[in-house]
This record gives sequence, structure tokens and C-alpha cells, in this order.
Amino acid sequence: MRILLVEDEAPLRETLAARLKRDGFAVDTAQDGEEGIYLGREVPFDLAIIDLGLPKMSGMDLVKALREAGQRYPILILTARGSWQDKVEGLKHGADDYLVKPFHVEELLARINALVRRASGWSKPVLACGPIKLDTTAQTVTVEGKAVDLTSYEYKVLEYLMLHAGELVSKADLTEHIYQQDFDRDSNVLEVFIGRLRRKLDPEGSLKPIETVRGRGYRFAIPRSEDE
Amino acid sequence: MDAGTALPSLAAKTNDAAERRPFSLAARAALTTGLVLAAFLGAIGWTLSRTYNASEINKLQGRLHDYVITYIAGTDPRRDGTPLMPDTPPDPMFSRPGSGLYAVVLGDDGFHWESSSALGRDFSFLHPLQPGQQQFIGPIDTELGRLYYYSFGVALDVPDRPAVHLTFTVAQTEDELESNSAVYRRSLVGWLATLGVMLIVLQLLLLRWSLTPLRKVASDMSRVERGHSDHLDSQYPAELTGLTDRINAFIDSEREQRTRYRNTLADLAHSLKTPLAVIRSQVEASELPPPVRAPVLDQVRRMDELVAYQLARAATTGRQTFAASAVPIAGHAEDLVQSLEKVYAAKNVLCEFDIEDGAAFYGEQGDLLELMGNLLENAFKWANHHVLLVVKSQRQPGRPRNGLLLSVEDDGPGIEADKVEKILQRGVRGDERVKGHGIGLSIVQDIVRAYNGELTVDRSPEFNGARFSVALPPT
Repeated sequence: MRILLVEDEAPLRETLAARLKRDGFAVDTAQDGEEGIYLGREVPFDLAIIDLGLPKMSGMDLVKALREAGQRYPILILTARGSWQDKVEGLKHGADDYLVKPFHVEELLARINALVRRASGWSKPVLACGPIKLDTTAQTVTVEGKAVDLTSYEYKVLEYLMLHAGELVSKADLTEHIYQQDFDRDSNVLEVFIGRLRRKLDPEGSLKPIETVRGRGYRFAIPRSEDE
Repeated sequence: MDAGTALPSLAAKTNDAAERRPFSLAARAALTTGLVLAAFLGAIGWTLSRTYNASEINKLQGRLHDYVITYIAGTDPRRDGTPLMPDTPPDPMFSRPGSGLYAVVLGDDGFHWESSSALGRDFSFLHPLQPGQQQFIGPIDTELGRLYYYSFGVALDVPDRPAVHLTFTVAQTEDELESNSAVYRRSLVGWLATLGVMLIVLQLLLLRWSLTPLRKVASDMSRVERGHSDHLDSQYPAELTGLTDRINAFIDSEREQRTRYRNTLADLAHSLKTPLAVIRSQVEASELPPPVRAPVLDQVRRMDELVAYQLARAATTGRQTFAASAVPIAGHAEDLVQSLEKVYAAKNVLCEFDIEDGAAFYGEQGDLLELMGNLLENAFKWANHHVLLVVKSQRQPGRPRNGLLLSVEDDGPGIEADKVEKILQRGVRGDERVKGHGIGLSIVQDIVRAYNGELTVDRSPEFNGARFSVALPPT
């Protein structure tokens, strides 16, 4: 999950970024609206967190500009005043949720998860594809009711694939959305992660949840079964 | 007229002040012109009637003089010196007894002659005059009635004898004169009254016309008060532009001040809450041991709630006595619900509206948004599936701005009757909160109080959840 964080208050920005990274998100930070619009247009984010009180270009204008530039990823706005006028205006201009400062980081993480999930068409917090269930709130994975122990990166890779279940996800997409930097783009770290995931989810090799599309990427092959 | 009705609300007058309200401009003008006109027309009537009387008397004198001359001309002295009176009188009235026109001739030797009309009547008030003397007298009261008479003394030459001195008198009772002038007076009064009515009507029309700009100001002012207009924006005559420009400047400065105030508050919120956000995130991310962490985070929470509550309180503008804009409710309710549906998308809440057409909130838009936003968010938070927003206008004659009845219902667990009091009493101190009902309800209460309204909490009859009702009085 790659997140854009636009916040002018340096200590807050840094603590938040550190916390998000610790939770397995890839985070790009901007300290004002102009930097925000530059990054927001260039990088394929999964979500943006935008403070409304920004220097150079207000958060409201940034939200508007991103939407006008055709960016569809969810936007969460942070507002200090918390007035309904701000909230309504922000949501009307394309934001998807708001948090009033000061907020709890846990609350922010919960909102981020919900927004990302909703943006990929999942309405419930538990992503279910056949026997595999991924609980985005508790960040746990079960296969046929049995808990599977995953590392933070493995979880993020699986979450990304399941969020986009049925769709082709290129290696570049995965590295971009999961890793902070495009390090080792050519290495086979990703193949290693995918291999480990397959073994943990499907030790018998009967489910075949992750399909390799040769030369192009991966696809989560078990269809969504959200209605259950 | 309505020129005076819109202005007093500026000064928020009480009822006993209204009793002593001065007459309206139109009434003053109508009264004074009415009085002046009456006095003027009265004086004209009096003068005309006096002049007419004088000329009538003049004419009477002339006529009586003519009769006398005719009698004198028709009188011949006999040989014995007694005069021979003419057979035919100059006017048939002289031969009709009691006709009111009498001729009497007195001689200084005791000669006495009367016309047939005067037979048997007492003319003892007449006295002989010297030849050449004449007099016109009247009106005098006699037993014949009030009359005027003209006497002329002549010396009649008789051959070979001394001249005979005779006094010719013709008298006429006032009746004829009176009836003439009564006719005249009647027609005079008739004409003057017609003239007076015409003048008053004309005056009223003129008054209406000249007061039109004032009425325009009053109606424009009431449009501003109702929020249908931003300014007094018609063209006014030069005498009024001083007033209207000042009022417009006042409206502008009031608005500007509110905007500045709001911006200041927003800045203040930002600069107070960002450090709190920093502290909280730093402490939460830190490795501090729980006995240190917990109290710090607790204090941060208290400060945050206090700051949020007090800022929201300060931002509440409250009821405005002047130039509030009419904020249409339907559009803002739609915006709020769309926002909430976005935020509470996972809950799949169905929010229904029952908003009266044209319902408007007279006050600051921000206040309306806080009021509805907090109530609706509360409902979304607690509802299972349904939220209902009902808005009705409350009209009251004589109040330009309608009141409002606004209620938000949900199908959640509702609030027990014994807890309602507790929920509503909180908000006096911003840091004592009932869990689950955050700072929002305190803000709602503050706004309701600022608009002299009332907040009640009971059970929704339809959904069996909580119902929050706000009643704002007409102003």
C-alpha cells in the first residue's frame, strides 16, 4: 500500500510516516500543497492523507486538484478545526473521509484500511476468497478457519493481491505499492515472498491461490466470495 | 402606512414602547394638511360670504334708491299742496299686503301715505328727513321683521305755495336678502367642500408618491432581514442615500467582521490542535512506560476536548438581529448526508428527508451545519439502518423570519429517559462527557441556546431509537 502524506508540521509528519512504514505501508511525504500535487500526480498511490491547513496550496485545493487531475485513490483529510463546513466541503470536493486533529494513530490506521478496502470494492472488513479469509482490522489471515502466521510484508503482499482479486497485478505494481523505495527491483525478493506465501497458504498445493502470469505478474485466482 | 413598521425591529423595541410610538409620517401629513385646508377653506368661505353680503346690501340700497326715485318721479303735488301718489307702483310687490316690500311717504305737515303692501303696519320708527337728506339703514328689528330701508327727503315745489317737504322711504324685509344669500352660501359651501375633498385626495396621492422611497427602503430592509437580499440595492432619492449607504456599510462591516472572526478561529484551532496532534503521535509512538504515557495522553485528550469545545462555542454566532442570510436547509442537509454516507459507507444507513419546501435557517450557515451535522452524525453513529430528518417551518404573523422545527431520528438503541437529563446537562463543563455522545451534542446545545431555541430528546415513535428535536422560535 503506497500512501501520500501531506502535512506541514514536521514532527507530526515524521512520526506518522514512521508509524505507517512500521505497519508495512510505503509512504511518500510532502510538506506543502505544491509538493503534494507534484507527488500526487506522478506516483500511483493507494491513498492520500492530506491536512487541510497547508502552506502554499490549501489542502482543500490540493484535494480538488488531485481529483481534477483524474486521481481516483481515496483521500483522507485531516482538519484541526473540525467544523462541518470544512468536512462537508472537503468530502464534496472529493475526499472520502476525515479525521479531526489530534487523532489516535490506531484510528487513522483503521480508517486507512477501510478506505483502501472500499476503494477496491470490498464493503466488509474481512476479505474472503473461498477458504482464504483476510481480516483487515485484526490483520490476520485464516485458511479454512486455521490461522496462518505471516510476516508484515507477506501480509501486505497478500492483502494487495486479495484487494485486487481477479485482476492482474504486475511486479512493478507490487514493488511500488509495497516497498518504500524501488530497491532491488530486479532482484527476486518478490518471487521469494510469493513462494513463501504459496507454501503458507496452500501447503498441499490444492488451492493454487496465486497464479503467475508469465512475464507480466500475478493474479489472485480464487474469486471473491463476499456474500457469505 | 407601513413606512414605520419595519424600522423599529432594528432597535428591538418592546411592546410598551410601541404604545408610545409617534404618529406615522403619513398620518402627520394628512392631519396637518387637513387642518390647514379646513382653516383655509373656512376663511375663504367666510370672506366670500362677507363680500357677497356687502354687495347684496349695496345692490339692495341701489334698488331701494331706484324705487324711491320712481316714487318721487311719479308724485305730483295737488293744488292744495298735498301730494298725489302714483297709481301704479314700480313693483307689483308694493300692492300685495305683507309682501315685504313697503313704501311710506311722510310729510312734515302730518301727511302720511303707504303703499298697499304696508297698510295697517306700524312705521313709527321712521322720521322725516330734510330735503336732500338721505339715509340707508338696516338691518333693524321692527314688528315687521328685520328690515332695511332707504329714506330720501325732498322738497316738492307747489306753485304759489311753499314747497312741500316729503320723506320717501322704501323698506324691504331681510327675508329676500336672506334667502338669496342662503342660496349663495349653500352653493358656496358645496363648491368649497368639493374643492376641499379634491385637494385632500390630491394631497394624499402626493403624499403616497413622496413617501414611496421610504416605503421602498422599508421593504428592501425587510428583504435584507429575511435574507432575500444582501444590501439595500434600489435607487433612492438624494435625501435617503446618506441613510441607506450607512446601512449598507454597516451590513458589510458586520459580515466582514464575522468572516474575520471565523478565520481567526480557524487559525487558532489549527495552531492549538496541531501541537496536540504532535504530542499525541509522539507519545503514542514512543517507548515511554505506560505509567508515564497514560497520564500524558489523558491530559492531551482533555486539552483537545476543551479546545475543540471552546472553539466551537466561540464560533457559534447566534441569532442575529440584522441582516442574517436565509440559509436554505434542503441543500445543506443533502450535502451533510452525502458526506456522512461516504464516511459511514460500511454501515449502509438509509437516511430519509422530510424537509418542508423553502424551509430556511436565519443565521450563520456554519451554525446550521454544526447543528445538523452533529445531530445527523450522532444518528448515523447509533442507527442500525434508518435515519430520518424532519424539518418544518413555523410561521408567526408579525415576525419576518420563520421559526424551525428540526428533528433527527434513528433506529438505534435510543436513550433511556433517566439518561436524557444527564446527557443534556453536560456541556456546562466541556470536559465531562457521557461516553459515546461526544463534544457534538454540547455544541448543538450551545447553538440552540444562542438562537433562543429548545432541544428535547425522546424516543422516535417510528423507529423506536433516539429522537433529537430542535425548536427555534420565529424572530
